[in-house]
Amino acid sequence: MSLLTSATPFTLQASSISKSFTSGRVVTPVLHDITLAIRPGELTLISGPSGCGKSTLLAILSGLQQPDRGSASALGHDLSSLDTRALEYFRLRHTGFVFQGFNLFPALTAQQQVELPLSYLGLPSTEVRARAIEALEDVGLGSRMQLRPAELSGGEKQRVAIARAVAKAPELLFADEPTSALDAANGQIVIDILHRIARTRGTTVLCVSHDPRLISNCDRVLTIEDGRILNDQSLPFQPAAMVGTQEHSV
Amino acid sequence: MVALARLTLIHEWRRFLPAMIAVGFAGLLQLLQAALVLGIFGSASVYITGSTADLWVGYPGTQSVNLGRPIDAGVEMRLRMDADVLRVESFRWVDADWRGARDTGGVSVFVSGIDAGPDGLMFARALPTALRARLAEPGAVIVDRADLSTLGVNLGDAATINGQRVRVVGVTSGLRALGGVNVLASLATARQLDTTTAADRITYLVAKVRDPAQAGAVAARLSNGPAFGNYSVWTAQQFAQRSQMYWMFDTGAGAGVLFLAAIVFLVGAVITSQTLVAAVVGSIREYATLNALGVGLNALRKVVMEQAFWVGALGLLGSSVLAGLFFALAAHYNVPVQLSPVAALACLCLSMLLALVSGLAAIRTLRHADPASLLR
Repeated sequence: MSLLTSATPFTLQASSISKSFTSGRVVTPVLHDITLAIRPGELTLISGPSGCGKSTLLAILSGLQQPDRGSASALGHDLSSLDTRALEYFRLRHTGFVFQGFNLFPALTAQQQVELPLSYLGLPSTEVRARAIEALEDVGLGSRMQLRPAELSGGEKQRVAIARAVAKAPELLFADEPTSALDAANGQIVIDILHRIARTRGTTVLCVSHDPRLISNCDRVLTIEDGRILNDQSLPFQPAAMVGTQEHSV
Repeated sequence: MVALARLTLIHEWRRFLPAMIAVGFAGLLQLLQAALVLGIFGSASVYITGSTADLWVGYPGTQSVNLGRPIDAGVEMRLRMDADVLRVESFRWVDADWRGARDTGGVSVFVSGIDAGPDGLMFARALPTALRARLAEPGAVIVDRADLSTLGVNLGDAATINGQRVRVVGVTSGLRALGGVNVLASLATARQLDTTTAADRITYLVAKVRDPAQAGAVAARLSNGPAFGNYSVWTAQQFAQRSQMYWMFDTGAGAGVLFLAAIVFLVGAVITSQTLVAAVVGSIREYATLNALGVGLNALRKVVMEQAFWVGALGLLGSSVLAGLFFALAAHYNVPVQLSPVAALACLCLSMLLALVSGLAAIRTLRHADPASLLR
């Protein structure tokens, strides 16, 4: 948190990160000496072909994996210095995740899916409920809160997953291939929501995808290939208002 | 708090059904087994529990009622000399051979020769006074209703015991015996049927004392002094326990029961844990997502244990209902079942333990709930 108030506005930083995976005797390097810094209030896309290491980079930046060399820090915390418990607590307080598979519990209604992680924050139940409803309305599912995953479309499920991730009001939001399982229209809705969250809440949104549709909709694109950053491109500002109107179009 | 465990259980009840059935059957088997064992081995001491005597006097070292050896009938004087003894009665046990009216071959019977008077202690709990009075008729016997077909007679029929003619003058219930058939007769009738024991010897003496709570002290007092020959005094409770323990453990039946209980527990635990593991695996990506969102592994373990608990609770509910039905059925068919609240609770606790142990086994599967594995 201290970094936010200091001179550097970056919320996620990686310095000289390397990672390789060992399978039997074969050691496969995945990331080579990657250094980067990501700002809040932006939708940053890590793009590249399959197997280029972009998901591994996301895992390291979010504290789900440790790098072999180098260090990663989030909100000023050195992630390698935190143990499993501390990392869980850090994630509970500060990070949201959206995955390619929506990973919703079949037994729970949309509202319960969102309330579930919130209830572990120790909030009073009325606030848990209020926040869940707000988050679901925010992603345009106000009328479908009592439905279970089986009754929702793919796009709606992903929006429930986003609501679940952002209801905690995290400073960091990680999304792994959030649109890959969706058609064009639903993919657009999801990316617009992510973009809007970054703009309006000042959340650091880091998205990993090889979906070319996303590139024109984000603020910054990091292209990775063979474990190295090939290109770092900031895109011109797009008004958030336009994004907001599209969100309710389906 | 969202009740994830319960909601999942309700929504995916088909997935959890095998576990509930496994726990339910394990519980049912334990309950039925315990009830049968207690019922059957309880009948080993029906002579004691069906009577109102406080003290039993018999041959020293007698391990079970059916193993009594004759003692000197003079011991009765020693008992009567004690100020705390209100009433003394003889009980003659005769191992005999029964030939019924119908062709049943020889049936091994245990003849209980009892005081047929209205104040008789022996079988006072199993025998109404009017029925008891009919035993006064020479050659009259009373048997358990459930044994009539084994004995090949109906009420009122004649039969022979050890070659002597007897007549069934009444039937009652709660007299079923282990390893034979109980036949009640008066002391005089039993004396006639007994071809082996000398006239001045008797198998047991039973006594009623002034204060049943003091039975132990009186028994200890009466045991002192060898003046009246070789005998031992037990309280009714001690002797009943002695008889039941003999049947339970010295016959190997108890070991069989424990072995069966262990098998039931093991099979139930395997099925239940596999079902719970499958349920965890089925939701592993969702659990991993929760962990990514910061819900700790301990909280997830709690969800699994809660599921195990509900599986156990629902399974046991089913087994209790079924056991109730079986007990009603058993009572209808005169099958000796008997279940104390303590034994029932022990069975239910054992089955709940089974469910919880299975939950612990399933918890291990949660280690696969690694959020990094979702980033592929």
